[in-house]
Amino acid sequence: MRVRRFLSGSVIAVALCILMAGTAFAENVRQQLVDESTVEQVLKRGVLRVGMSTFVPWAMKDKTGKLIGFEIDVATRLAEDMGVKVEFVPTKWAGIIPALLTGKFDVIIGGMGILPGRNLKVNFTIPYDETGMSMVAHKELAAGYKSLEDFNRPDVVLAVRLAATPVAAAQKFMPKAQLRKFDDESQAVQELLNGKAHAVVASAPMPAFQALKHSDKLFLPLKGPFTSEPIGFALRKGDVDTLNFFNSWITVVKAEGWLGERKNYWFETRDWEDMLK
Amino acid sequence: MRRRKTRIKPLDIVVGLFILAGVAYISYRVSGGLHYKWDWKAIPQYLLRYDPESQEWMSNILLQGLFTTIRLSLWGTVFATVIGTLMGLCRVSHSTFFRLLGRAYVELIRNIPPLVLIFIFYFFLSGQIMNVLGVDALVASASEGTKSFLSLFFAPPSRFTAFVSALITLAIFEGAYITEIVRAGIQSIERGMWEAAYTLGLSRWQQMRYIILPLAAQRTLPPLAGQFISTIKDSAIVSVISIQELTFQGMELMSATYLIFEVWITITVLYLILTLSLSLAVERLEIYLRRGEA
Repeated sequence: MRVRRFLSGSVIAVALCILMAGTAFAENVRQQLVDESTVEQVLKRGVLRVGMSTFVPWAMKDKTGKLIGFEIDVATRLAEDMGVKVEFVPTKWAGIIPALLTGKFDVIIGGMGILPGRNLKVNFTIPYDETGMSMVAHKELAAGYKSLEDFNRPDVVLAVRLAATPVAAAQKFMPKAQLRKFDDESQAVQELLNGKAHAVVASAPMPAFQALKHSDKLFLPLKGPFTSEPIGFALRKGDVDTLNFFNSWITVVKAEGWLGERKNYWFETRDWEDMLK
Repeated sequence: MRRRKTRIKPLDIVVGLFILAGVAYISYRVSGGLHYKWDWKAIPQYLLRYDPESQEWMSNILLQGLFTTIRLSLWGTVFATVIGTLMGLCRVSHSTFFRLLGRAYVELIRNIPPLVLIFIFYFFLSGQIMNVLGVDALVASASEGTKSFLSLFFAPPSRFTAFVSALITLAIFEGAYITEIVRAGIQSIERGMWEAAYTLGLSRWQQMRYIILPLAAQRTLPPLAGQFISTIKDSAIVSVISIQELTFQGMELMSATYLIFEVWITITVLYLILTLSLSLAVERLEIYLRRGEA
């Protein structure tokens, strides 16, 4: 009898303890989430680590080895507004998401298109930029080609960078053409210049720049880009505070007109050409 | 060792002409068949640049990459030699445990492609290990003097952990091969040496330390030199985890400037300078070590 009373008493006590701990626990979890959010960590460290990949004119190294470009401007301003220093971590495109997930840097500001597949792995902010796929073609091989339909043939070879967006765009709009994938765009362009591919599919404005540079061999078969993709910052999942901060920041600089002005400088003018070579 | 005189025979001339013709044909094909605008003028500025602010010549991207490659291969070689020697001793140990340890290490590392090893180590292990050790915080809180020391001999504080993980991977990878070289070197020493050392009353450690290892070191020098050169070449693999060594910097430069062939050729020459000078240095060292022999 005594044993049973003792047992029921302890069960009630334990249940009470769990209940009380539960409420305290919820408080703790929230505090912990705030403390562990990327924004908080960045402020504590005093350095925002940004993952990016070289990609003209988003981000590239100038003659002196300094990073310049649209993304670089965006990330530098972001860090300035947070009152911390910025640190760029140049990373190979193929490994950029694993590197973010394993904490090698805090955020990817690298012209990353918002794709549902990617979004299952990382969180995206609202778009701060938009880009589209465009195409530059070989004058002899693709002579007379004027539309996407002209390229959608089994004997056409398209060179692309090994990345989700150009590959998906090429497969969607020109499913019959053969795809040849390269690690970076300079190799894809070289393949085109060597006459081994009919066209290169890549994010604007690179194709237009190449057509200008090699006007004797290359031309633009289409006027402007044929797709439109939103571009966002990518960050690790489960971090509401950081996502909210970045979203608000983008809204503010967009409203200011600053984003548009920077974009115009890097994408519409070529004033920065001399800084490269 | 007497130097043999080289005499040129008619056959040598014929072969030489064939090689020249081959080179000429390939360069003709390259210039004609390859639609490429050469722009060599742009390259020197990526090696050295004049800084108008400080009025000094400074190393630029490619040379900085070369320095990182040198740091990486230098430390990689040192650590790989330490690991390799320890594991090599394990391989010839009398204790079953140490022999198994050595065997397991060599077979595991030697049978994984280096690229896979680097990815696994960098993404899965290095983060955990570095966090536990608190390397990041340690480096960040170091004094200015320590920081500049680290930047000079390893990597700047911001890239320190990545550099260290690359270094460890490289050392573990190359260490497996050095283990086998060391083991072969020790086992190649004649039984009589061990017996002679034993009759002098030396313990097994003393026999190893004073008699066997010095002899083995001399015999293993040529294959070790090959392995050291391999370390320099293999250091290019860590470009995939974005260590800013020569290959990585070159590829970054290519995607920014589209000067593909000029940059690759420059990189090749830089690697050759590095490996060839190491080859020559080891050759000198071999001659020096053999000075006592007839």
